[in-house]
Amino acid sequence: MKIKKYIKYLIWTGIIFLILSNILHVDKPEMPETIKTQALSQNAEVKYPGDFKTIEINGREYIQARGEVGKYGGTLNNSTIGEGPKTFNPWNAKDATSSQMSELMFDGLVTTDAYTGQVIPLLAKSVEVDKTGTIYTVKLRKGLKWSDGKPINAEDVVFTWNKIIAGGFGNTSARDNTLIDGKMPEVKALDKLTVQFITPKPFAPFLRQLTQSIAPKHILEPVANKGKTAFDSFWGVTTEPDKFVTSGKFKLQRYIPAQRVEFIRNTDYYAIDKKGQKLPYLDKYIFYIVGDINNQVLKFESKQIDTLALSGSNVARFKELEKHSDYKIYNLGPDTSTMFLSFNLNKRKNTDGKYYVDPAKQRWFNDKNFRKAVNLAIDRENAVLNILRGVGSPLYTAESLSSVFLNENLKNGEPGNIDKAKNLLKQSGFTWNNKGKLLDNKGNIVEFNIITNAGNTEREALGVMIKEDLEKLGIKINFKPIEFNVLVGKLSDSLEWEAVIIGLTGSPLEPHSGRNVWSSTGALHLFNQRKKHDLQNATDLSEWEKELDEIFEKGALAIEFKERKKYYDRYQEIVWEYNPFIYIYSNLTIVAVRNNFGNITPTTLGGVLHNLEEIYVKE
Amino acid sequence: MSIPIYILKRILQAIPLLVIISIISFAAIKFSPVDPLAELKMNPAISPETLQAEKERLGLDLPIHSQYVRWAGNFIKGDLGISTSGEKVAGRLMERIPNTLLLTTVVILITWLVAIPLGIYAALNWKSRIDRILTIVSSMGMAVPSFFFALLLLIFAVKTGWFPIGGLTSAGFESFNPVRKVLDIAHHLVLPVVVLTTISLAGLQRQMRANLLDVLESDYVKMARAKGLPENAVIYKHAVRNAVNPLVTLLGFEFAALLNGAALTEFVLQYPGLGRLILEAVIKSDINLVMASLMISAMMLIIGNLIADILLKLVDPRVSLG
Repeated sequence: MKIKKYIKYLIWTGIIFLILSNILHVDKPEMPETIKTQALSQNAEVKYPGDFKTIEINGREYIQARGEVGKYGGTLNNSTIGEGPKTFNPWNAKDATSSQMSELMFDGLVTTDAYTGQVIPLLAKSVEVDKTGTIYTVKLRKGLKWSDGKPINAEDVVFTWNKIIAGGFGNTSARDNTLIDGKMPEVKALDKLTVQFITPKPFAPFLRQLTQSIAPKHILEPVANKGKTAFDSFWGVTTEPDKFVTSGKFKLQRYIPAQRVEFIRNTDYYAIDKKGQKLPYLDKYIFYIVGDINNQVLKFESKQIDTLALSGSNVARFKELEKHSDYKIYNLGPDTSTMFLSFNLNKRKNTDGKYYVDPAKQRWFNDKNFRKAVNLAIDRENAVLNILRGVGSPLYTAESLSSVFLNENLKNGEPGNIDKAKNLLKQSGFTWNNKGKLLDNKGNIVEFNIITNAGNTEREALGVMIKEDLEKLGIKINFKPIEFNVLVGKLSDSLEWEAVIIGLTGSPLEPHSGRNVWSSTGALHLFNQRKKHDLQNATDLSEWEKELDEIFEKGALAIEFKERKKYYDRYQEIVWEYNPFIYIYSNLTIVAVRNNFGNITPTTLGGVLHNLEEIYVKE
Repeated sequence: MSIPIYILKRILQAIPLLVIISIISFAAIKFSPVDPLAELKMNPAISPETLQAEKERLGLDLPIHSQYVRWAGNFIKGDLGISTSGEKVAGRLMERIPNTLLLTTVVILITWLVAIPLGIYAALNWKSRIDRILTIVSSMGMAVPSFFFALLLLIFAVKTGWFPIGGLTSAGFESFNPVRKVLDIAHHLVLPVVVLTTISLAGLQRQMRANLLDVLESDYVKMARAKGLPENAVIYKHAVRNAVNPLVTLLGFEFAALLNGAALTEFVLQYPGLGRLILEAVIKSDINLVMASLMISAMMLIIGNLIADILLKLVDPRVSLG
């Protein structure tokens, strides 16, 4: 009797287990974790589709898109990680999400071509720079309108530059990036549709500053007159969507905190397709706000979002599943992030008269051969394979691999070479004891700390790997991941650190954006950070630091790309030779997009949605 | 002591308590090594002038005690200040409070409406097969961590596609008719409600069962039975009424939990509630936001306890207030 009962229980448990395992069908265990870079061959077929054309219809100058003719309707569901936008005021946006969303609604005079990286006109019909490189003449398109029907004209441009940007309203980084010798360019309207910018000196990075969104003067002038606080809170996240007066291809329809931001098509946008139909095609463009990357992946798998940036082991898994799925995976090449190891080259004392760095360690770190030896000991290929699961490429240059200013000669660097590294150390008087430990010329055992931010599993793994690599040189590393905030405190304030693994994001288009890092007075001159009082009459600049200072000054003054490239090639050479930062790798940008969209032509510089107005939903 | 005077007394007692709580929490946040400007500092595009301006805007350049005084002064005036991203804290809280209230009320209602009858049933059918099954199920419910259970349900939702991942409404919600709106919200609520009820249901059911079992053994129940009262009257009029007393105190705590949300579950399931907001604020050291939520929690706890005491008095005349 009892046995029968137990058998019954067993059968029931079995049935329940079967049902559950069917529902929760787990991926095959042989799913690869790493991926060979060949399997992700870059989309070679990205062909430049030619320049944008300007077409005049009924007194309006439209921009003509370059893709195939699509059809109207449909929604594209995107997502954003984090808390969602903080404001929809593009001039006050201080974080990437807010900027991305508000810039959908407000166009700039120019934009960046997603294929070539060149500056191309947007609200402007043309931008001309005179021979002196100081006078920029911008002609606006005819017939441009704000969403309330008022014309967009030169007054709006002058207001945006002279009042909002020069006046320091909202986010001041636009002003900080345009100040030339402490002066803002002079901006004036020549006629209704022509604006002239005069910079005090030739300043190449200025052209890209013209991407700044243009503001509707008739709405924002009264707000700006009330002061900065009023301006900062204007067009915030609680504003009714119909209060926005916009110029971009999409307009805010609804913002639901912690859930999603819905944008609706601007039916009167100034772009048309090849048949002369008004763009954009999509009715709606939605951002779901997700807390973390795992939730984003789940949302993509359950088909609630249409595009997903992939990283790490997810790439191999999604690539494997791609054949039986409704999405395609695009490899957009290396992204703009850079991961590097840096030594503290600081030889100064703090206000208490104590050295920031122990004098013995100062000697090692400031030894060019020592840094080069460390560079040669690091196995970058191994790091890419094991830490990034193959989704990255080794990096040797200070400019990211996607940069238009990349120094092609240094791109492939020099493969790791332990023997050469040991020779360099010998040249500098380092020796090894009988246990294989590295000693300096005074007999000190070479041992130091590397810090990074705890919680970033990638950097933690990299730290362990570097520790193992440097053991081959007999160097002992104490690897200490610490809290991000504490790390920043050490790097920017207390300056008491020895070596750090960290990453910075650069601009692939404008090396001048790195001046805060490279110029000796920069606020992020990490490897030899000088405090305010150190800067007053800094005499301890090394020759190559001086040269970098000079390059970053001259590189901005040169106007011709070729001439600028020479300067920035040289800066990458210096960094390669002197190793203030030892670059390790860049991640690859891998994106999955559902197949039912047309005109998807992802590029390295523009990503998947650079031609959002042309993207349409297929049958 | 009459009830209104008692309430007044309790409120007066609460004031020093709140001051102490606020000082401790403020100090704890300030002494933690979290710098709200850390991310700006590591951004190559941010100039030192901008950093300085941010510092002044957030009042970080003042000594800690004057920061506290500034915060407390505003708080008393009803101004919760601005978050690090520049929005009004009150506004941010108000965005989330309705969502959290909706979730917690549904959870509490379902828990109580299911747990109490189940507990009674289990106690009355002590050691029966159903009682045993309930014991197993509720032990599982108490043992499984909420975030883990939430993860399991997430996998379930992804694999079957039956439930949406995260959020509270679908796109296009505003154009739905009222019936569809309610159904849409209900659809989104299923996962978080299942997680949270399973967990609190188990405890409450066990508690009710144990209380009732105790009471059923007591002399006055035996007496009532001996007197020949019908079994229903014995149980519902005498036994259950006495057994429910300790649960009234629990109800007070439940009230406090109304606005606390369930940060972990909300985070895993991406529910747009208060818990997730506060969790993110703590990570970013958004002091005004964290302080506001801590003060709200403290007040809700005090009020919840007060309500529980008064309810207890109403339910059980033997209890005296004082």
